[in-house]
Amino acid sequence: MKEIRYIVTDEIGLHARPAGLLVKTVTGFDSNITIKKGTMESNAKSIIGVMALGVKNGEEVTFIIDGSDEAEASETLGIFLNENL
Amino acid sequence: MLNTWMEKLGLGKDKGIEILAPIEGTAIAITEVNDPVFREKIVGDGVAILPSRGRVVAPVDGTVALLFETKHAISLKSVQGAEVLIHVGLDTVKLQGENFIAYVKTGDVVKAGDLLLEFDMEKIKAAGYELITPIVICNTVDYSEFIPCNRGAVKELDKILIIKK
Repeated sequence: MKEIRYIVTDEIGLHARPAGLLVKTVTGFDSNITIKKGTMESNAKSIIGVMALGVKNGEEVTFIIDGSDEAEASETLGIFLNENL
Repeated sequence: MLNTWMEKLGLGKDKGIEILAPIEGTAIAITEVNDPVFREKIVGDGVAILPSRGRVVAPVDGTVALLFETKHAISLKSVQGAEVLIHVGLDTVKLQGENFIAYVKTGDVVKAGDLLLEFDMEKIKAAGYELITPIVICNTVDYSEFIPCNRGAVKELDKILIIKK
C-alpha cells in the first residue's frame, strides 16, 4: 500500500476539468485508489466521487493506492498531481 | 416463452437507458462544445444543449448524486446506474452560485421531469459565460454504445441519448 499526500493548488479546486483528468490518469491501473479529504473518502476512479469531496484550493487530500501495480500507479499519480493540480 | 420472460425481467437483449432532455433548447454533439474538457470527453461522453429556457429538470428517474455548492452543475444516478452530469454553461463554477437556484439537494430521489435548477440566462450571458450545457455520462467506461438522438430543437424530456452496456 502506498500513500500520497497532496495540497491542491488549482484555483477552482477539484472541479470538472481537474477531476476528469485525475480519473483518466488513474483509471488504467488495477490498484484500488482512494482519495480522502478529512473524514470523507471516495474512489479516485469515479469523477462524481472525486467531485463530491468538494476539494478547494489549499486543501490537503490523501491518496491510498493499493494493489499489484501500486508502485507504478503512485509514481504516475505523483507526476500528474505536480503538473496539474 | 423464455425470451418474453427475460424481457419482462429486463434481462436478455439490452435496450439501453434513455436519457431525456433536461433543458429546452438546441441539442448539439458533445464534440462541438467550446471547451476541451467536454469536447474531448474527459468528464464523459454525452450531448450538449444550448438552452432557450433557464431551467433544468431531471433527465432520468434516480437520485441526486451531487448538487455542487455552486449550483451550476448537478449529477444524478439513474435507477439503472448511469451517472448523468448536467453542467450549466462553461466555466460557470466561477459564478459561485450566483444566478442559480436549486430545488433539490444531494440524496433526493427524483423522477424524470422534476425541477432541479433554475438559472438566469440573461445575467449569465451578460457576465460573459457561454450557456451551452454539456450532459455527460460520468461512468462512461461502464457503457459501450452512446447513441445521440434528436439533434436540433428539443423540448424538456425529448429523448436525447441512449446508452448501452
